[in-house]
Amino acid sequence: MTASPETVTIVMIEDDEGHARLIEKNLRRAGVFNEVVHCESGTAGLKYLFEARTANPNPLLILLDLNLPDMTGTDILEKLKADEHLKRAPVIVLTTTDDQREIQRCYDLGCSVYITKPVNYEAFSQAIRQLGLFLSVIQVPKVP
Amino acid sequence: MPTLRSILGRAGLLLLALGALTLVLVDVGSIWLGSKTQAYGLALERAQRIRVLAGEMQNRLDDAETGQRGYLLTGDPAYLDPYTKATKLVQDSFEQLRPRFRGTPDQPVLDRLIQVADDKLTELRLTIALYDAGQHDQAIAEVKTDRGKIMMDQARGLIANLVESADANIRHSAEDMRWGSSALQIATVAGSIIVVILVTGTGFIVRGYTAQLERASAEVELANHSLEGRVQERTADLMQANEEIQRFAYIVSHDLRAPLVNVMGFTAELEVGLGAIQKMVGAVEAARPDLVGQDARLAVTEDLPEAVGFIRSSTTKMDRLINAILKLSREGRRVLTPEPIDMALLFGGIADSLRHQTAAVGAEITVQEHLPGLVSDRLVLEQIFGNLIDNAVKYLDASRPGRINISARALAGRLIYEVADNGRGIAARDHERIFELFRRSGTQDRPGEGIGLAHVRALTRRLGGIITVRSEFGQGTRFEVDLPRILTAQTESAES
Repeated sequence: MTASPETVTIVMIEDDEGHARLIEKNLRRAGVFNEVVHCESGTAGLKYLFEARTANPNPLLILLDLNLPDMTGTDILEKLKADEHLKRAPVIVLTTTDDQREIQRCYDLGCSVYITKPVNYEAFSQAIRQLGLFLSVIQVPKVP
Repeated sequence: MPTLRSILGRAGLLLLALGALTLVLVDVGSIWLGSKTQAYGLALERAQRIRVLAGEMQNRLDDAETGQRGYLLTGDPAYLDPYTKATKLVQDSFEQLRPRFRGTPDQPVLDRLIQVADDKLTELRLTIALYDAGQHDQAIAEVKTDRGKIMMDQARGLIANLVESADANIRHSAEDMRWGSSALQIATVAGSIIVVILVTGTGFIVRGYTAQLERASAEVELANHSLEGRVQERTADLMQANEEIQRFAYIVSHDLRAPLVNVMGFTAELEVGLGAIQKMVGAVEAARPDLVGQDARLAVTEDLPEAVGFIRSSTTKMDRLINAILKLSREGRRVLTPEPIDMALLFGGIADSLRHQTAAVGAEITVQEHLPGLVSDRLVLEQIFGNLIDNAVKYLDASRPGRINISARALAGRLIYEVADNGRGIAARDHERIFELFRRSGTQDRPGEGIGLAHVRALTRRLGGIITVRSEFGQGTRFEVDLPRILTAQTESAES
């Protein structure tokens, strides 16, 4: 059973409030009006995700930053992919790191898409808008 | 070690001198004995000759006397024959004996013998002369006086003395020789014993010395080993420190990037907002000019756009700098793949890629023939020399045609590549500074961030090399890249 794009909840794990704000703004500009839940640390993110299974019936899509103060994004990715239910939720890694090994590692761990945040803001907002377009067409499985 | 060597040297020299002395002594003894033997031989020969000559003389005197007696008895001149012959020959005997006694203690004896023999011959002649004169009785009376007999006896005694003396001489020589021979025997035996002792002693010393040498060389080897170990440890430490710095640079540049994204992002948002406000102010001004104050209009049309412009240009520059650091740190993380590289080909490729620029300024790049190759990482080498040659072309002196020369020389397992130009040169105070990040030297009339040489130095170190510069301002610049001939692949530090 799949959910329509509108009902998908986007969980954004991002410690930088500015980034989070800019990402959200640009997603909105791209016409993505889904609910965006912003978690400011890895711990908060995991807590929400593992509780959301019962509290939030919507399917989840996860936007993940790798450089978090309390844990690395790859730790979170590992935990998600080890979970029976959460492992099907698409994970989009959106981070400043463009190291090839890091990218490989994330795909090895099962991330769906890896996007490097461009420092140049025009490119950044362009990337987020394209991500928004992408989000509007993909199918997300429902987390049971 | 020096003490040991000098002690050994002194003892060894002493032993050698003793050995030589012993040999010389034994030699001198042998020579001396040889001369003694010769003397004995001569004495023997002389004594035999003296015996013969003395015997002959005796016979001749006897013959002379026999002839005289026969003549006096018979009166027959035929009996005088032995006398006549003998008297002549006696002189011969004198002549032969005389040199053999000259200067010897026996010379007076010989002289006396010659005197006696002369007297005897005179006596014989006298009696014969008397007989010839017819005075037979007087001649017989003369014989009867026994004078002649006494003289003969004297002569016999003297001859016996001479023979005896010669014999004594032989005995003396023989005695000498025997004594010398036994002395030499003793000396030889003693010498041999001494030589054996010396050889043994020297042998011990040499053995001790050799053992010490072996110990010392073992120690040196051990020291070398531990030195190698220490060098390896230090190298490992250094590599670790280097990795830490690169990691630091990587993390710092990343962490700096995150806020920069915000600064740039919200600046863009500000611009968008400013656009909206500008439009509104424009509209309001058109409708109600009295509502828009001078300050508000200036802020919206000049101050805010200017501020946003500065923020943008500064963040753009900061982004470039951060990217430079990131690039530098990333270079340190790339896995090196050593492979044999034809450096002539590599330099040729770089020169070709710069042909456009060099042709534009009439510069020329020459590469030394038979350039030695090495085993190293191709990409890194291309970056190092690409940067250096690019710099050389970039900073030529417009007043003279550019000449860039590339050469190499080998030095103990290492190769030193040299990129020399006749460009504008670098002032001595900047020789270290040019290798620092974001630092540049001389007139700032060329684009650049001051990254190239910092990058080159980091890359050269990565290959286990050293880069040095020699330059005189206004004359030209010489970069020397000292690289190991064979790069050993290291284990790389990974991840950020």
